[in-house]
Amino acid sequence: MTEDTERLISIVSQVLLLDIEEISDSLRRKDYEPWDSMAHLILISEIENQFGIFFEDEEIVEIWTVGDLKKVLASKIA
Amino acid sequence: MEEIDSKLQRILAAVRENPTYLSHWSAFKKIEQLSPAASTDEKQSMRLAVIGSSTLEPLAACISIKSRLENLSPETWIGGFNTFRQEGLDKNSELFRFAPDIVILSVDGWSVLEDSFISNYPRMNEKEREAKLKHMVNEVVSVVKNLEKESKALILVNNFVIPHFSPFGIVDGKQSLGIREFFRTANQFLEDTFLKSDRVQVVDVDTVASSFGKSKMVNWNTYYRGSVSFSEDFTLQLADEYMRYIRALKGLTKKCIVLDLDNTLWGGVIGEDGMDGIKLGTTSPGVEYLDFQRVLLSLYNRGVILAINSKNNFNDAIEVIHDHPYQVLRENHFAAFRINWQTKVQNLIELANEINIGLDSIVFLDDNPHEREQVRQALPDVMVVDLPKNPNLYRQTLENLNVFDVLSLTKEDIERGDMYVGKRMRLELEQSAGSLEDFLRTLDLEVTVREATDFDLPRVVQLIGKTNQFNLTTRRYTEAETRNLRDAEDSAVYCMSVKDKFGDEGIVGVAIVRKNDGQWTIDSFLMSCRVIGRSVETSFLSKIISDARDAKVQAIEGEFIPTKKNAPAQDFYSKNKFGRPVQTGEDQMVTSWMFILDEQDLEVPEWIKLIEE
Repeated sequence: MTEDTERLISIVSQVLLLDIEEISDSLRRKDYEPWDSMAHLILISEIENQFGIFFEDEEIVEIWTVGDLKKVLASKIA
Repeated sequence: MEEIDSKLQRILAAVRENPTYLSHWSAFKKIEQLSPAASTDEKQSMRLAVIGSSTLEPLAACISIKSRLENLSPETWIGGFNTFRQEGLDKNSELFRFAPDIVILSVDGWSVLEDSFISNYPRMNEKEREAKLKHMVNEVVSVVKNLEKESKALILVNNFVIPHFSPFGIVDGKQSLGIREFFRTANQFLEDTFLKSDRVQVVDVDTVASSFGKSKMVNWNTYYRGSVSFSEDFTLQLADEYMRYIRALKGLTKKCIVLDLDNTLWGGVIGEDGMDGIKLGTTSPGVEYLDFQRVLLSLYNRGVILAINSKNNFNDAIEVIHDHPYQVLRENHFAAFRINWQTKVQNLIELANEINIGLDSIVFLDDNPHEREQVRQALPDVMVVDLPKNPNLYRQTLENLNVFDVLSLTKEDIERGDMYVGKRMRLELEQSAGSLEDFLRTLDLEVTVREATDFDLPRVVQLIGKTNQFNLTTRRYTEAETRNLRDAEDSAVYCMSVKDKFGDEGIVGVAIVRKNDGQWTIDSFLMSCRVIGRSVETSFLSKIISDARDAKVQAIEGEFIPTKKNAPAQDFYSKNKFGRPVQTGEDQMVTSWMFILDEQDLEVPEWIKLIEE
């Protein structure tokens, strides 16, 4: 894992209340109850704050899985 | 059960280690999943409700976790987005059914004003502006008043944040009711409205925001995406501000500052540098210590107790306190001294004993990190402050502590420091006097007894609520109940103040008498433990007996209801000529005593001057 991925996973783990081993790219918003709209809001703003980036609203609603998150993040910090 | 508790402690330990917004939020959600049982201990339990005009989960989460970090067990209920009117005005709402003991009402003024407010404001006339102002304030006030009426909770309502932007630009202050004056006036109105209420506190969010930086108080991304009013870091700071009220309500307030001397109250070491060598004066270096002492004195003057714990030769150190021209804190500001070569830990234990306060009421200030660490390990209840290395920052560190808050300041709070100093001097005199009575004769004791006036009531209610040791029946009454007892024909509320040559203790005793034809019953009789041992309670009782005699009453009944803490009061009636004890109540625990006025009289001890008002 790269440093950035590690950081991302640490945020996901804290917001979604999962141990790091429990997080997979396929973890999906609508299948996992704690990933509600409030959690999504906090997840996005934490990533924005920690990486100093900004997500468009269209990007936010299109993030469905941890894999999606990784992809969008990678494109923004590349 | 035990497993839940250890999980809980692990979650909280993670927050202590890394106290970020995210870790608070995460801990809050994890504890929600654990759903630990509510605490049955009244000291720890709290029912916190948060309502308002925006998304308040994050603020509620931070307050809840910060409460847990102070060993409280909050149950938290959060109102839906912008539902504060429904929740606060309908007494059958979920909020009232939750039966909170703390309600946080967090309303953003802008949410109450219509959307076109800022656009139209420049062209409104003064009357229209005033109407908007009234509307905004009343939306909040009406909800607060209903909360006050229909619940027993402490209500924390925020004031409005005065905006930086004004369409009038730099001449905002020259308009009749500019934008900033609009919000300032609203804030003044809020404070005035609840000035006399002890259950409604206006939380000065505007000042918290100024101190934090108004330009950083909102994260506009979460504001527009999720109606979250406060940025992440500001939420933490705001939660700290609310904690001040929660600590005051739950009795977690600190009462006493114990101070080191060398490099804490002055720069340098008195034993080495001497009077001329230490840094303390009106110019730098030295002025920073002077300034620090001035703020300490301001805390003393409003009721915080000061004491000294220093490794020094007593005479060297006391000479500075006594004679140094720039020393601000003098001997008569300290309730107790430990200037010796014992460990600071031992000294702290002795100081707590001498002053008669718990270690958990003490804040310890010492520049030496080794001493601090030793105290921290040996006495975890003592709050040990990490004084910065740079003495220029001492004053700021002290001002940022925010641990001495009380919900209302009585005259007794203001003068508390003097009382403890008086106590020390009395103790010194007692040690030099022969018998106890000789000692009491030298005190020039004056006891004043009167029926409680409006002015006395707040202190009377405070004593009824918190006196545990010298309290015959430990019946707690609210302010409204006490007022009713005072105003009713068939009852009376007396209060006693005590003064001697070392100082005025203010009101320290309360008695409530229920009057029936021919017989009075002492419903409550209580006294602050500060004045135990001077027989002032006998003179208080004798005043009640003499009033009963004037009212042609034949007998007075007194009761003693034992509790875990009131052993000091158990012999009160037998020592004061009451007889015919009868055991009553469940398990025969309650003792009822009689004083027959035809057969007995109770005299005021000769060393006390009783003043009847």
